[in-house]
Amino acid sequence: HRNLMHVIYGTTAAVSTSVNEGQEDADSEEEEFFKPKGEGRKNVREDLAAEDINREDCSKFVGSLKKWEDEEAVESIRDRFVTGDWSKGAFRNQ
Amino acid sequence: MGKTTYKRLPGSQSLRQRLLLASLSSTAIIVEDIRSDSTWPGLLPHEVSLLRLFEKVCDDCVVEINETGTKLKYKPGIIVGGRNLVHDCGLSRSIGYFLEPLIVLALFAKKPLSIRLKGITNDPKDPSVDTFRSATLPMLKRFGIPTEGLDLKIENRGVAPFGGGEILLSIPIVQCLTAVTWMDEGMVKRIRGVTFSTRVSVQLENTMIHSARGIFNRLLPDVHIFTDHRVGPQAGKSPGYGISLVAETTSGCFISTDTTVSYRRGEEGGEMEEEKTELVPAEDVGQQSASALLGEIEQGGVVDSAHQGLLFLLCALCPQDVSKVRVGKLSPYGIETLRNIRDFLGVKFIIKPDPSTETVILKCVGCGLKNLFRKIS
Repeated sequence: HRNLMHVIYGTTAAVSTSVNEGQEDADSEEEEFFKPKGEGRKNVREDLAAEDINREDCSKFVGSLKKWEDEEAVESIRDRFVTGDWSKGAFRNQ
Repeated sequence: MGKTTYKRLPGSQSLRQRLLLASLSSTAIIVEDIRSDSTWPGLLPHEVSLLRLFEKVCDDCVVEINETGTKLKYKPGIIVGGRNLVHDCGLSRSIGYFLEPLIVLALFAKKPLSIRLKGITNDPKDPSVDTFRSATLPMLKRFGIPTEGLDLKIENRGVAPFGGGEILLSIPIVQCLTAVTWMDEGMVKRIRGVTFSTRVSVQLENTMIHSARGIFNRLLPDVHIFTDHRVGPQAGKSPGYGISLVAETTSGCFISTDTTVSYRRGEEGGEMEEEKTELVPAEDVGQQSASALLGEIEQGGVVDSAHQGLLFLLCALCPQDVSKVRVGKLSPYGIETLRNIRDFLGVKFIIKPDPSTETVILKCVGCGLKNLFRKIS
């Protein structure tokens, strides 16, 4: 998906000044090329401000916990267990 | 000899992966602006300890740090591995912080690694040593890493603030990894887990197990959580307790969560906050950990969110074959890993969301890393 890849790969080239450049897709280079000069600059600066270059190095990600005591929540993942509906489980992997 | 070209990188972010990928790809790096604007500028104790660990496992690598610790020069050497190494991981991060880069590094060493790591075994910030044993090591097997010589033994447990834990880690070497097509997350067939307690009553473990089981009860009968109460030197130097849980699926995926409760070192000086802070009750710990596990299962990836980074790394280090994997929502660490892989190995993933399952499918061609005795020019 173009958008997801752009979110992940689109911005950081400017942040990390690598010595051996040239790994970029021809596609993304073309996109950069047609961007108005000022706009490109602005994005880079916004990204730099948004991303903390000293953020903590942590692989764990703790999101908010659902209330799994609720019947509704339990039902929503029932088919992810062998005790649930196997045909629905298999359907996920089509 | 020739002049070394350094890759310049800003900030302390992703230091572990940067050092790892620099070593694997023989790229010299300069890391600058390390917490330059912080009250405590420069490298933190665990980062210095990590550098020392890299020096121990590698030959001829060069580490230079400036006076304030805000600039680091790293020139990788040869990964040698070796037997009976010992490393003190310190007390500012747990052993889990060191394990991910160390395991991948050691796979590509000249000799198999066996090392004793000292420090904190269980901690809320990093995956615990239990999680490494029960979820990370089985995951490595998927990539063709032999089970022989792959082991993690928890000799002593140790929690913050004073640690005292010790583990024995053995990692075999590989010629190269095997690319994977790992798309089927399967259905959860059983849940296993282990609780531990050091310098507190074993009753806390039973409470954690009881409340965790309460959450799983309506979903699955096959739930077994073992206890591991430690006393004497095996219990380390500080009181604490925790639980780690693993859901095993019909397709052989291991989805894990863990958490630990212990006292923290005070912000200034070495003063303990023991008097001020109250520990989270064991009942809540069990419930929260079980809820976190269900949250990970709901995501529908072949690994949990904490293992996304390692999964992408292994895919990228494979021979030049296509690897295809499914994960849940991309974690911030997973995204950072993808960027680091692109920067160091030139491997870019094709990333597609799968709307019907709300998962993400990633595909890449490995960089073709081989474990050869390389000469550095």
